[in-house]
Amino acid sequence: MLLIHNTMDHTAKLSPEEMQGFLKDCMNYINRLVSEGKLKGAQPLVKEGKIISGSKGSWKDGPFNEAKEVIIGYYHILAKDIDEAIAIAKENPEFAYTATARIEVRPIRTIEKSTGFLYPSQK
Amino acid sequence: MTENTVIDQPAIHQLVDHLFRHESGKLVAVLTRVFGSDNLDLAEDVVQDSLAEALTQWQYRGVPDNPSGWLFRVARNKSLNILDREKRQQRYSAEVRAGLLAGGSLESSLDLLFSEQEILDDQLRMLFTCCHPAISPDSQIALALKTLCGFSVAEIARSFLTTEENIRKRLTRAKRGIREAPVPFDVPAGAELDRRLDTVLSTLYLLFNEGYNATTGEDPIRYDLCGEAIRLAGLIERHPAIRDRSAVCALLALMAFNSSRFKARQDREGRLLTMAEQDRSLWDRVLIANGFDYLRRSAEAGPDSIYYWLAAISAHHALAPDYASTDWSGILGLYDGLLRMEDSPVVRLNRAVALSMVEGPQLALQELDRLQEDATLQTYPYFYSTRAEMYLRLQQFPAASACLEKAIACSTLEKEAERLRERLAFCREKIS
Repeated sequence: MLLIHNTMDHTAKLSPEEMQGFLKDCMNYINRLVSEGKLKGAQPLVKEGKIISGSKGSWKDGPFNEAKEVIIGYYHILAKDIDEAIAIAKENPEFAYTATARIEVRPIRTIEKSTGFLYPSQK
Repeated sequence: MTENTVIDQPAIHQLVDHLFRHESGKLVAVLTRVFGSDNLDLAEDVVQDSLAEALTQWQYRGVPDNPSGWLFRVARNKSLNILDREKRQQRYSAEVRAGLLAGGSLESSLDLLFSEQEILDDQLRMLFTCCHPAISPDSQIALALKTLCGFSVAEIARSFLTTEENIRKRLTRAKRGIREAPVPFDVPAGAELDRRLDTVLSTLYLLFNEGYNATTGEDPIRYDLCGEAIRLAGLIERHPAIRDRSAVCALLALMAFNSSRFKARQDREGRLLTMAEQDRSLWDRVLIANGFDYLRRSAEAGPDSIYYWLAAISAHHALAPDYASTDWSGILGLYDGLLRMEDSPVVRLNRAVALSMVEGPQLALQELDRLQEDATLQTYPYFYSTRAEMYLRLQQFPAASACLEKAIACSTLEKEAERLRERLAFCREKIS
């Protein structure tokens, strides 16, 4: 799982021409991953949302701070090992167009080796 | 979890060159009509927001069939939200207000403004607003690039070889000018239209020249400026409100002829080549044909603009198979025509070059001597390098060297200075 971190307003300073370049590069990036059979899914996470904390009786739900770093999207990829996943993450156009991007590369555990337990998943 | 499928290549092709830039220009124009020219900043913010939204969504699922329509819908909805939320602040134009007072809903008043013809009209209104005489020519260009052409402050700064701070100041001044004058968001009518059209065309000509005289040659953005000048002039030329198309057609002809030489103007090191040195097989024949088409239309409407004479001169160059067989006496005659419209030292300087090809360098030098006292030419490297070329043709190498030294001293562009130094070395070799 590649979790894309950036500020919420990371595209605010891009010029229209840069936005278009960014967009084209993203589409080509996704296309390449799909055609190589390495992409399971990718989606943006929208601005609207809350951060829930506390517990029953004292729930807090704060809004996001636009200037603060949040997760803005994810790529669910298929890679043979962490190195390949890191290589794919480094090619994400986010890095070329914004200075504030960070990508968290996290393997997903699908099976519990000791017990053979399969974690629930759509596919 | 959704499955991503391969995004169709056609979907990427929906993204024609500069789509975002040009859609941004259209949207800012329409939204300025909605919010009023004193709320230009708000219009720009909404547009930026809409483009950012498109970027977020399209990067994952591809470009929709009608990207322009998609952007307009989003911008319209965002505007509705703002107008709704800020009803009390009344940040909308007198026109929208009138529609509301007449009993229309906000939504229906807005939809009227988002129709195809209105969008075209609004861009023309924006152009006339940017090029209002209350704003200085420098700021006019910066504002037009920012609003109509979707350039960022950084991009404008780069194309003018200046700082972002400087451009920001120009934009602030321009917007203050619009608020204080106040400049209505409209295309003037009647005699006022003819007067104001002159200013608009000269701003576009300035914009084109900013890009064309780019002597650094490293930054392709400078040819973008030429492209934008041509696009905006095209808006005027196509618009039904413009009755006299003579000048705008002539300007389009001039820009087409000059653009046709883009590929031939620089050598591999990026240095600018003179007309005599260019490989004419690289000239763009389609643009030349366009140029002749516009020139003919301009002539039919009456050749009474400086652009007509400049375009006709450029056309003569376009027709010549090489430098030597250029119709120089024809060009000289056109310079005489141009002088009658605009008697400036730069025109006289260029005329002297044509004169030298017809009557010889001696006579041209006499002409140039008469311009020696002129203040604008004193720091103009081309004045001295032209004199140097005349002396070279007369084999007067010491005089040529002296002129080249002066040209180098006032040249501000490294690539240009490099060329001049080579020329100077050649001269000195001949002397020794």
